[in-house]
Amino acid sequence: MIQAMLWGVGTSDYGLQPERRVEALAWTAVGEAVADAGIAVDEIDAIIVGSVFGPPGVATRVQRGIGLPGVPMWTIENACASGTSAYHEAVQTVRGGRYRCVLVLGVDQMSTLFSGAIVPEATDPEGAASLPLPGVYAMGAQRYVQEFGVTPEQLAAVAVKNKRNGLDNPRAQLRKAAPTIDEVLSSRMIADPLTFLQCCPTSDGAGALIVGGDRGNPDDLRIEASVSVSGALWDHRSKEVWGYACVARAAEQAYAEAGRTPAEMDVLEVHDAFTIGEIMTLEALGLAPLGKGAELAPSGHTARDGAQPVNPSGGLLSRGHPLGGTGPAQIAEIAWQLRGRAGARQITRHRVGMVETMGGAAAGMDGNACVVTILSTS
Amino acid sequence: MAADAPSSELGVGRPTKRRPGSAVGGLPVADSRPVLDGDAVLGLRCTVCRYPVAQTGIPWCPSCYGPLEPARFDTGGTAFSSTVARIPVGTRKAPFALAYLDLDDGPRVLVHLAEPEVVPLGARLRITGMDEGDLLAEVAS
Ligand SMILES: [Zn+2]
Repeated sequence: MIQAMLWGVGTSDYGLQPERRVEALAWTAVGEAVADAGIAVDEIDAIIVGSVFGPPGVATRVQRGIGLPGVPMWTIENACASGTSAYHEAVQTVRGGRYRCVLVLGVDQMSTLFSGAIVPEATDPEGAASLPLPGVYAMGAQRYVQEFGVTPEQLAAVAVKNKRNGLDNPRAQLRKAAPTIDEVLSSRMIADPLTFLQCCPTSDGAGALIVGGDRGNPDDLRIEASVSVSGALWDHRSKEVWGYACVARAAEQAYAEAGRTPAEMDVLEVHDAFTIGEIMTLEALGLAPLGKGAELAPSGHTARDGAQPVNPSGGLLSRGHPLGGTGPAQIAEIAWQLRGRAGARQITRHRVGMVETMGGAAAGMDGNACVVTILSTS
Repeated sequence: MAADAPSSELGVGRPTKRRPGSAVGGLPVADSRPVLDGDAVLGLRCTVCRYPVAQTGIPWCPSCYGPLEPARFDTGGTAFSSTVARIPVGTRKAPFALAYLDLDDGPRVLVHLAEPEVVPLGARLRITGMDEGDLLAEVAS
């Protein structure tokens, strides 16, 4: 198997940018990724795009601006994990020798689609029953509150940590002063127990990645593992909250592929669409036992100067969440951290990093898809 | 994901990729929600492993791939979890409460609760009717 490497990363700004063409967000990201990889544009021999809301044909309209006529190109929709799913497919094609240099693009523009919260999908049984996405996570959070005694303050600590981290991220959507625990808890309730400041903002943005083989460049990052799993039945037999099993399934395979343990992860970017998401995910990733993930932020373990920094970029809670655009932004942050070029956000120990992206939430399944990847300095 | 979206009229009146349904001004779509028929929730049960599912039209048991037959599920069960939505969704005005209800010997279904309150894990609930096509449950007395 060919060793897949991450050659370059690039992103647009993240935030509400309805005045920009969605293609322009992508071109910004692609331009930066190509320059970062130090390649000629025509070295790219395939394009894989991750996007949820497109619009349909967005990949081709992006392509028109960058050339590469006739290059194989396809678009993947895996909910919030669309961007990292596109990355995973790029890794697989490089490993198998099908392509030598793949451009991955994740893009979504939410501000021109929804005027408020994401409207649930009417063809989904639970979407039709008016279950909003915050409600999906809130039901998980209620179990953590009632079953494990997780406190509102522990939930809020995740938001405080990530929004504070995001102050140092010039591309993040939320760059105001970080809130206190009290401010997080006194912001308006969205779905009990999740308050407004525990929900990530919808956002516009794009991220691009260049994936290729081992060309002996010390700046390239070794892709030690890349795993993509789809959902499994989440039903009356499931004792864990929605999403947990899907993340755990991907994580188990990723650790096996890399031959690594959770303790070896120096830095992580994980799917904190809601505060409970980071808590539940870190348990599923093995950083804490079930029911103990809520202690990680208050204890400082996941702080930027802690033992295992989580979401040093500010995460979705600060950067914003343009669905397909999220995964590549997570991977870009890990790349900047591992190369020691994260500026004010730079963490001190940065050899091995992990990215996890979770997509949902179709009714009756524990996720639409989850992608976990492990990267290291080469 | 949602909360910090723009308060302007962006996106309003535009065709979108999402099918919002007729409740919020889109075109009508086929209803996929579970149906209450008198004293039972309608669905399917596997003739091999007895797996219950509150939907119709699926080709085989999604758990063991065995054949399915029509089933009627009891309306009583226990709450897996619940929440109170404090934002309007579709035609629903805030606040409204939702719960995952594990029906006795039946599937897990999403229900609306009669009272806008969180219920304890494992609380006994009973489906008492339908409201705007949604299953409606209340705490069993
Ligand atoms: Zn069966």
